[in-house]
Amino acid sequence: MPEELPPLSPRPPLSPRNPLAKFPSSIRAAHERFLASGDVEALDMVVIAVVLDHQPTQARKSGEVVAPDTARLMADLGFDSLALAEIVFFLEDLYKVTITNEELMKITTVGELRAFVRTKVAAGRTA
Amino acid sequence: MSREVLITGLGFITSIGNDAAAVTANLREGRHGMTTWDYCGNPAVPVKVAAPVRDFTVDSPAWRDWSWPARYDIPRETLRGLAPHGVYAFCAMEQALADAGLTRADITDGGTGLFCASAGSAFMLHHHLAHARSSNFERGNPMGVVSSIAGTLNFNLAAHYGITGAVTGFVSACASSSHALGYAIDEIRLGRQQRMIIVGAEELNADTLLPFAPMRALSTNPDPATASRPFDTARDGFVGTGGATVIIVEEASLARKRGASIYAELIGWGQASDGHSVATSHPEGAGLREAMRRALRDAGVTPNEINYINAHGTSTPIGDRAEAIALHSVFTSAGAHPVISSTKGLTGHGLSMAGAMEAGFCALALREGFTLGNAHLVNPDPACEGLNLPRETGSARPSLILNNSSGFGGSNVCQVLRFYKSS
Repeated sequence: MPEELPPLSPRPPLSPRNPLAKFPSSIRAAHERFLASGDVEALDMVVIAVVLDHQPTQARKSGEVVAPDTARLMADLGFDSLALAEIVFFLEDLYKVTITNEELMKITTVGELRAFVRTKVAAGRTA
Repeated sequence: MSREVLITGLGFITSIGNDAAAVTANLREGRHGMTTWDYCGNPAVPVKVAAPVRDFTVDSPAWRDWSWPARYDIPRETLRGLAPHGVYAFCAMEQALADAGLTRADITDGGTGLFCASAGSAFMLHHHLAHARSSNFERGNPMGVVSSIAGTLNFNLAAHYGITGAVTGFVSACASSSHALGYAIDEIRLGRQQRMIIVGAEELNADTLLPFAPMRALSTNPDPATASRPFDTARDGFVGTGGATVIIVEEASLARKRGASIYAELIGWGQASDGHSVATSHPEGAGLREAMRRALRDAGVTPNEINYINAHGTSTPIGDRAEAIALHSVFTSAGAHPVISSTKGLTGHGLSMAGAMEAGFCALALREGFTLGNAHLVNPDPACEGLNLPRETGSARPSLILNNSSGFGGSNVCQVLRFYKSS
């Protein structure tokens, strides 16, 4: 008789989901490009797509789907702190990094987020 | 205290239809929602049948993967906080508001409250905890709590619709949404709220349903046509279902003033507990018997005046027998022989959602003028001898209906609904 208890879930593990599965193929390609070559402009494309994907739709001005570098995430794009935390979680999960609250507090604009992710993720890549 | 409580809106996402018209047709024609079902890809699991909701895909823990009928517009800022059963609830809510002729602007002034019932999402909780544990709690989804725990329905729906009246959830397992409806009646009777929205919802997945298998509460009958057969001698457990039901009730003067279309009147409710077992019914249905008597007393009606009873009848051996004995005590012994049926023979058992779903069915029966039959009943349990358990839909319009619900720990809740004659 086995001594150990059976695993918590007898269910076969779900096949690993691609978090970008529902994103445009150009974004999935950019993600692959960054992973393969470290192309940070490709990384930028992914970050912008993730921002737009999490933007509260009700805050969007008539069909406007843009996130210029100068746009403030909360004041201009309508993010609340939870939606912002979701972006961070999504990127952490995608690139296996941990982003602290202190780091998060310093980010106000899309440009700052883009630059921060470049530094953080690129550093994680070379570490 | 004479405030009357009227049902003015219904919304259904169920195994037998995703709107009131489809549900009504399937109830009348006795078409069930059961199908062969693979819960978890493990052939060794003996549970083979379920009653799924159609036209939704919510079997992923990620909202990006979900789909639902295109006529419902769920903004992503709401979607991100929902559990799978929250998607059902959102759609049923939209339906019920449209049915009642209400918009979001009508329910934000504090006069409208929201009472919800679900078990929460074991599936989402498991997923989010497994994810958090995988980084030893260094990372986690910020929406993990609000999309998982019991209360997820009231958190999300109150925030989305801007509801500022009384908002809470009820947790009494399979009596939960019946409790929500009962206490909603009180909110209106006491003059605290003019309108209440009652929501019951559950999801159909391995995480919610299969933990009932070790209790021997689920049917292992592989035939979708007979797995759920309340009150039959061959019943062997319940069949799981998911979905959502929303009921909107209003104080009568408000409903009349705005010219609302009225389904039925809720004229009383009662509850009593078995005080007996954590999981199984009292063998003679003592708590249910008392709950029925209290509901009748509250409504000011006698057993002989009730035309139809929507039984809790989940198709478990112990529960159905206890209910049959309780029904004899209250009705047969008073010389009353109302039509009795359990619609779980058609829908399966919706757990927290069951009470509201079946109260919704009762409202349809009163407005459309029919009584419901006992699907799949062939050989009634000897305990049912003398109870009026027709197989088929009846064409006589009931004027008074009793709706029964029972939950774990022996919680029993009943409501009395009355036909409302529109002037």
